Amino acid sequence: MTIAKRLGLASVALISLGASAAYYATIMAMRGYQTQARRLDYLVLALVAALASLLLVLFWRSVHQTVKSISQQLDRMVKEHQYGLVMIEEGHELAQITGPLNRFLTLVRGDINHLQEESRELQIQSRIADAEKKNAEAIIISITDAVVVTNRFDELILANQGAEDLLGFKLEHSLRKNIDHIMQDGTLVRLIRETRSGGRSFTRKVVEHTIDQKAQPKIFNVTLSCVMTAQGEVAGVVAVLHDVTREKEIAQMKTDFVSNVSHELRTPLSSIKAYVEMLVDGEAQDEKTRREFYDTIASEAERLSRLIDNILNISRIESGVVRVVREPVNLTEVVKHVLDVLAPQAKAKNIRLADRLVPVTHQVEADKDMIYQAVLNLASNALKYTPDGGTVSVSTDIDERRGLAVFEVTDTGVGISPADLPHIFDKFYRVQSHTKMAKGTGLGLTLVKHIIETVHGGKLAVTSEAGRGSTFSFELPVL
Amino acid sequence: MTRVMRIVVADDESHIRHVVSMKLTNAGYSVMTAMDGEEALELCLAEEPDMLITDYQMPFLTGAEVAKRVHAHDALKTLPVLMLTARGADIEAQEMSEAGIADVLSKPFSPREVLNKVQGLLRGAPSAAATGETA
Repeated sequence: MTIAKRLGLASVALISLGASAAYYATIMAMRGYQTQARRLDYLVLALVAALASLLLVLFWRSVHQTVKSISQQLDRMVKEHQYGLVMIEEGHELAQITGPLNRFLTLVRGDINHLQEESRELQIQSRIADAEKKNAEAIIISITDAVVVTNRFDELILANQGAEDLLGFKLEHSLRKNIDHIMQDGTLVRLIRETRSGGRSFTRKVVEHTIDQKAQPKIFNVTLSCVMTAQGEVAGVVAVLHDVTREKEIAQMKTDFVSNVSHELRTPLSSIKAYVEMLVDGEAQDEKTRREFYDTIASEAERLSRLIDNILNISRIESGVVRVVREPVNLTEVVKHVLDVLAPQAKAKNIRLADRLVPVTHQVEADKDMIYQAVLNLASNALKYTPDGGTVSVSTDIDERRGLAVFEVTDTGVGISPADLPHIFDKFYRVQSHTKMAKGTGLGLTLVKHIIETVHGGKLAVTSEAGRGSTFSFELPVL
Repeated sequence: MTRVMRIVVADDESHIRHVVSMKLTNAGYSVMTAMDGEEALELCLAEEPDMLITDYQMPFLTGAEVAKRVHAHDALKTLPVLMLTARGADIEAQEMSEAGIADVLSKPFSPREVLNKVQGLLRGAPSAAATGETA
């Protein structure tokens, strides 16, 4: 604009000069001093001046318009954030300015493109890093083990749901707070501290630790790892708490099982060994006693073999390797067979064996031998634990509506106390007050439960009243 | 032997009671039997025998508990107790010594061994309990 103004001023000055010259020439002519030739000179001068003025005005207008166009182009660039080139007429005076300006603009545009590219790359990298972080967090959160991550100031920086539930804090309220203030469990706080402070000498250790959860002591394997920076400094600690309560229980159950089995096997074996030795030593002095000894040895050998069969059957069912032969089985027929087998025993104890069996029309899909075993165990238990002169009632029934065959055996026996009732299906569990009444392995009911529920998907139930008697029943789907 | 020695045999297995009784009776001892822990305790307190042979695992009271309670009575403080057990090495030595068990025999046992132990204990000979080994 300044150039245009100056040019404007210059043209104004030139126009004034031309006008003054024309005025002077006119005055001189009127006074008569001037020759014709001189007058012409003045006219030419005035004409030149006027032409020059016109040229100047035209030039000024052109400069003004170009400057305006440049300004507009620049304005548009600013407005649209588009850094293009400033376009003017080729060979124009102002090209001296727009040339370097465009070179500058090209440079700026290059720089901007470069920066934009860098920025885009950074954005992508940041997004990837963010996604990776979220991914890692999602992995930690989805782990069922409790995970706690702390920094080098022992402040909580990450924990999953498992940790929140177990240790009783909320991550959103506990972030960046010292674990001392968050966790009630002093031992765990100490373990994390020790791991962090001893970070250089070890990378990972596993500690067994008991934490009460819902008033139940739970045993955890706590794995503590030090997180190290690339420079080898401790960045924090990751603690993973894995619940091993169930594993420990199973290990204990196995130990108990082996111990129980060996105890149960030793008992009949003791009798056999002792009686044989007595016979060898001639301690049984008369034929009647010797006969009694042989009978005992035979029955104890039988007991030992039954015990081994039961243990094997239960263990086969539990480990899922049992061979099940499924065929249509008539429950009533099976029960009739069992009653025939048990009749002499009932007669010997003067127990009335009552039966109420549905006609042989409905069948269940089952392993016949196993169902026979289950019915036999339940019915012979009823006989065993019913005093002389009592009654054992056996029935089969069809529940048409639910499509089930139902077996039931009720006795007028000693019954089971509420304290014993929940345990009667446990391996080797025997109601102590009943051990005098009858011999047993403590495996019969365990086997029945396995046969009915594990193998056949049926349901075994018991109701009992101490001193009044018990009712055992099971139901199986009919074909 | 100026008088017949009296022994209580406690076991919930009738065959074991029977065989031990017979072995000891044949050897000239007088034997009384009990079928569970409570009965064994009552019998010992009532009869004040010279010796108790008991199973470990019995209904109501374990053999160790019976021994402990029997020894709490002045008249029976020194009653020798021989334990028969099918639990193998499961029973803690500490529980044995606390209950004042003189000796332990693992099932399956030999009736001869029982008789040897009884004779040794009733003669007041030093018991083999210290080593836990049987003859």
